[in-house]
Amino acid sequence: MQGGVAPFVVGLVVMLLLQSVRLGGLAVVAAFATAVYFVAGFTFSPLTATRKIILLGFAAPVIGIAVDFGFKGTRAGALMLAIFAGAAALWTFWPVLMQREMAQVWLFGGVAAVAVAFMVGFGQMFLADHAVRAGAAGLGAGLGTGIAAILAASATYGLYGIALGAGSGAFLLVQMLRGKPGTAGTTFTLPVMLIPGLVAAGAMILAQLPWYSVLVLALIPVGALLPVPARARVWQQAILLSLYTFVVAGIACYLAWHS
Amino acid sequence: MSTKLVIALAAAALPLSVSAAPDNYTIDPYHSYVHFEVDHIGGLSRMRGRFDKTAGKFVLDQAAKTGSLEVTVQTSSVTTGDNDKGSRPRSRDEHLRAPDFFNVAEFPTMTFKSTKIVFKGDNPGSIEGDVTLLGVTKPVTLNIERWRCMPHPQSKRDMCGGNATGVVKRSDFGMKFGIPSVGDELALFIEIEGYKD
Repeated sequence: MQGGVAPFVVGLVVMLLLQSVRLGGLAVVAAFATAVYFVAGFTFSPLTATRKIILLGFAAPVIGIAVDFGFKGTRAGALMLAIFAGAAALWTFWPVLMQREMAQVWLFGGVAAVAVAFMVGFGQMFLADHAVRAGAAGLGAGLGTGIAAILAASATYGLYGIALGAGSGAFLLVQMLRGKPGTAGTTFTLPVMLIPGLVAAGAMILAQLPWYSVLVLALIPVGALLPVPARARVWQQAILLSLYTFVVAGIACYLAWHS
Repeated sequence: MSTKLVIALAAAALPLSVSAAPDNYTIDPYHSYVHFEVDHIGGLSRMRGRFDKTAGKFVLDQAAKTGSLEVTVQTSSVTTGDNDKGSRPRSRDEHLRAPDFFNVAEFPTMTFKSTKIVFKGDNPGSIEGDVTLLGVTKPVTLNIERWRCMPHPQSKRDMCGGNATGVVKRSDFGMKFGIPSVGDELALFIEIEGYKD
């Protein structure tokens, strides 16, 4: 309910209401906010790593809207967003990392920054203009991260991840029912790549998700770029692309289970 | 009054003034533990656990009936007896260390610092103070159920010890996961023994 049904319903409503003004991508943040409301509430003091993830998650669509309506998407822009995301990951976990040994600081800090930067950069560069692929990437990244986090002993992060998957599912479902792709843009791809990346990094640093599982989770959006039959309908594309991402997510979860 | 008499009176009074000074004690980590109890599955049973690593110190001034207590608990030492994951992805103790509960990677310690010790007769009866957990500080009163000071039977070193209990709401500290299935009220049971420095 907290991580699945309620976020899905809220995401669906937002997608239906805002898709006509190219803001249907806000469905994923609405779903995430719903889970935060039920699981932890909107408290930001003291500013823990988890609360930083939530803050960044809420800031992401604001940046996304500014990018979508104020700038033309470029490779340089995608690179800048990736660097911002990597820096955000380090800012989020730095106080925790500083309590660790230097080898762990390099390993966990490096994996967190690289994974989050890669997901955001890849999403912006290759998925922002393809709403069905972006939705499938979000569905796989959300559910994969959520299940992996639960296997790593953090149900809270699990619910956040599953909520992101639910929001992406709502975003995808409306496109499937309409039979034509919607608009993703940075408004959708930035939060739907940034938040699962941070949640996965958090499950690694604060719980017990192995670092190599985080790297596999970061590859989920690549699965959404695999080819689909040219004449496939939107719902067929959505299902096929989602299955691709589920395979990658499944590998990450398998590694988390057996760590 | 001659100088010799003054010195003699001062020398006679010296042991009294020394014994009335506050005494400092260091908590014995091998005989001092913080235990807790919490409702499980909406009160189906009361689950118990403890923190294996506790350190701290206390000061007692029996004459002035004042004192202080500082306890630091290593949250990563939490145990409920379920630390082998077996065929499950993780054990309960691993889950307790995760961000859902004690978030030990980010907040490795839980502290208690007294603000006032209330004496009941010659011994402390309750301790008012602040618990800091997950970066949040809240007041709590610990009731002392027993307290005794005596020389250790073998080493003859002066020591004091006793038991205290208290209750906190974990949601006050931002630990909201699982409520109400896992209870909000956390009953604390503290056993302390300390050697005089």
